Amino acid sequence: MKEETSKVPENLPITGRFFAWFTDPAHAKYIIGFLVILCVGLFLADFTYKKYGHFEAETYKGFYGAYGFIMFTALILAAKTLRSFINRPEDYYGSKAIDSEEYPEAQLEKLEHSHD
Amino acid sequence: MIDMMPISFLFFAGALLIAALPKGSSGAAISLFIPIIAGWQVYQLPAGTFAEIELMGQTLEMMRVDKLSRVFALIFCIAAFLGNLYAWHVRDKVQQLAALFYSGSALGAVFAGDLITLFFYWEGTAIASVFLIWARGTIGAYHTGLRYLIIQIMSGVILLAGAAMLWRETGSIAFDLMTLNSLGTWLIFLSFGMKCAFPLLHNWLQDSYPAATVTGTVILSAFTTKLAVYALARGFAGTEILIYIGAIMTLFPIFFAEIENDLRRVLAYSLNNQLGFMVVGVGIGTEMALNGTASHAFAHILYKALLFMSVGAVLFRTGTSKASELGGLCRTMPMTALFCLIGAASISAFPLFSGFVTKSLIIDASAKQHMVLIWAVLVFASAGVLSHSGIKIPYFTFFGHDSGKRPKEAPFHMLLAMGLTAFLCIAIGVFPDPLYALLPYEVDYKPYTPNHVVGQMQLLCFALLAFVVLMKSGLHPPEIRSVNLDTDWTYRKAAPSIMLSLGRGLGELLRSFESALTSLTKDSLTWLERTLGPEGGISAGRPLGIMALWIVILLALALIVGYI
Repeated sequence: MKEETSKVPENLPITGRFFAWFTDPAHAKYIIGFLVILCVGLFLADFTYKKYGHFEAETYKGFYGAYGFIMFTALILAAKTLRSFINRPEDYYGSKAIDSEEYPEAQLEKLEHSHD
Repeated sequence: MIDMMPISFLFFAGALLIAALPKGSSGAAISLFIPIIAGWQVYQLPAGTFAEIELMGQTLEMMRVDKLSRVFALIFCIAAFLGNLYAWHVRDKVQQLAALFYSGSALGAVFAGDLITLFFYWEGTAIASVFLIWARGTIGAYHTGLRYLIIQIMSGVILLAGAAMLWRETGSIAFDLMTLNSLGTWLIFLSFGMKCAFPLLHNWLQDSYPAATVTGTVILSAFTTKLAVYALARGFAGTEILIYIGAIMTLFPIFFAEIENDLRRVLAYSLNNQLGFMVVGVGIGTEMALNGTASHAFAHILYKALLFMSVGAVLFRTGTSKASELGGLCRTMPMTALFCLIGAASISAFPLFSGFVTKSLIIDASAKQHMVLIWAVLVFASAGVLSHSGIKIPYFTFFGHDSGKRPKEAPFHMLLAMGLTAFLCIAIGVFPDPLYALLPYEVDYKPYTPNHVVGQMQLLCFALLAFVVLMKSGLHPPEIRSVNLDTDWTYRKAAPSIMLSLGRGLGELLRSFESALTSLTKDSLTWLERTLGPEGGISAGRPLGIMALWIVILLALALIVGYI
């Protein structure tokens, strides 16, 4: 990880520095901690107002949180299973498909950050 | 004479002007100028029907202006402006012309008051837009473009067939609310469904959008499918089957999007999922639901364009839009990353962003009708949107694993286009009332209630937490270089291989027939030679006697025939 940090150019814009903070693995615990506190706070917030809804489930405390967590996990695991059936190599459709060809260089402006 | 020039003609005139002018920035300037004038005109137009033409006893209504057509026309003008601003650097006249013809046709179709006018513009969008794919100039793009064109043109032909049948039945070609009670209306429904990427008719979308140019995809993302949503809202509002079709549309693309590697294709799947919400709204058909469809189309065009722009900018700078090759770009492309995050927050419907104030109209409309299953599916699909567009796109491009790529920030005009689009996404989210005022019906809805805000934040934040847990436990599927099979497999692999084996079988059959025929001919000739040849049995023996005998027989036959 230290090697990667050393590849970061010195002249990063301030916004770049700000975002780079989030990518540092050492800071992951702060981000996750913040997210956990946020989730707990949102759950507790359910006790501060009168919940209403068209369905009974909507009135349960923390219903949306539980639904989000469970369904998101189910989605990812189902997608992963789906991948094992439908995944193919990139050149599956042969040479006349965009997946196995490069984007034409002439239409791009590939520049490195250090060119500034 | 027509009393008013259809607004689409403004786009066509602009395109002709670009064609006449020399290559340069003037073309790009015209591309920006036209949508501004058109947008202003659309905004000012009074309700009513204008530009009517009598043709073969039928009235073609080229400008039917009401609140539904106006809100779609307005967002089309805004999308054309933003897309063309993003494409400011493009000097390729083909793309500039295609963009103007395409957006002009979409605008014309939205204002069409009859099915024939709709058909012409419908095909116009198909033909103009394919050039945005072909402009990439590779063999892959050429083949993809052909597939796209065939499906789009087919949709138009089916529309025309349906319109003709409806005309025979009712004597009218007016494009109004229809019921699915005849073959004609079913054909029109199918035609709209093809363009709207209904399940199993959807794959042209994921096949073609990633194949277009960097800027072409941004423009493509705005018009075709939303035109179809408009057509459904106009022609089939309240058609129950649309609720179920729409619900399936919100569901199945989220699984595919999750495991797709090409981020522009991920966005195409995500687009398909968002269309599902709009289709459900059309199917429910209440005032609230139709408001939801129109407003969600409006918001969606903006945040989807923004997401395509940010991934496009990455492709423009790095040469790839594949998640497996990207990561960590936020360091040197922070503004693009910021705009991508705004697009991601908008599509995920975080409070204060546009998706929050529009999607909830549709979800609430389904709850109001006590459709518990549909409601549960839509809420699940909302968490699904977060997974691919909210997390996957920004995380695997700008954060996550560091790819080591240090590209320069996107060019100024791209940042400006993204900035304006991002501004609109936030503005709609924070101040939804101006958008609500544009909707077909009066809006009686308050998006910012504790119930709604906390509920939505819970859904999204706990889903984010699930993402963290899955990443930490290594259960989240990694990004790998690959393609996934979808329905295009049927015509890209299965049909060609069936045709090939059929062709081979037929070839074999013909070959064996030919060889049988050859050997039969050979055998017959041998037999003839053996019997009639100089060495043959008939020639041998008494040739003169036999000859005389034959002459007698022939003469006798001639006599009989002559006398009969």
